[in-house]
Amino acid sequence: MEFSYGIKDSYAEVKADGRLNMVAAAKLREFVGGVIAGGSTRIVVDLGKTAFMDSSGLGALIGCLKAARQAGGDLRIAAVQPQVKMVLQLTSMDKVLTAYPTAEEAFSND
Amino acid sequence: MTKVIASRGFRGLAGEDAIEAINDDLESLWLDVPFVQDMDQMTFTTAVIESASNIVQRAEPAGQEPVELGVDITVRPALLQGRVSAYHAKPPFGPMEPATPGEDAESGRGLALIQALVTTVSFERQDGTNIWVLSRTSSQS
Repeated sequence: MEFSYGIKDSYAEVKADGRLNMVAAAKLREFVGGVIAGGSTRIVVDLGKTAFMDSSGLGALIGCLKAARQAGGDLRIAAVQPQVKMVLQLTSMDKVLTAYPTAEEAFSND
Repeated sequence: MTKVIASRGFRGLAGEDAIEAINDDLESLWLDVPFVQDMDQMTFTTAVIESASNIVQRAEPAGQEPVELGVDITVRPALLQGRVSAYHAKPPFGPMEPATPGEDAESGRGLALIQALVTTVSFERQDGTNIWVLSRTSSQS
């Protein structure tokens, strides 16, 4: 899985390209941790190119959400694909990790 | 039982590389059986990867030999079946029952997720091997 990020007006956008499985989970934690350490605490993870996520990947997203909140910010997800949406719904984590259609919309009402 | 239309098999050391290889195998399998509905492909793939990841993360060697991971998938007209095996592994510690983690927990959802994804799931231990047996009946049947 490949990660990249860009700084927008009011948030940092992290793009995750590939499978968010147990292999990528630790990398996501490290990558988002670095973004937070760099001073960006409002983060959108764009999952538009994440075709697969398992419970390890979900755990990593929750860990990143907690890290962002502990730093005074928040983490939101966007452009969720069908398999990821299914995992979020089956674990009831769609209530915790609210999915937005696009990264731009994630913090647009704050 | 109806005949097997397509199948895939994998065996290798229970490590991270195995997870990617199994996911690749499943993606190629679905290309061979385009009649399998997207929902069935998605749920079954997720259940197999969850089971395999559980072995990679938790299985401990019973002796000198390292734990090996085996995955055997068969596709029948209305049935997907998978056997996900941990060779040379100790029996699992404690019952293989799904947990109910809190919403801020970062782990512990795998078993419940597997149960939600497939029609039947069972766990066996045979000849020193831990085996997950997964089946999903086609959405169209």
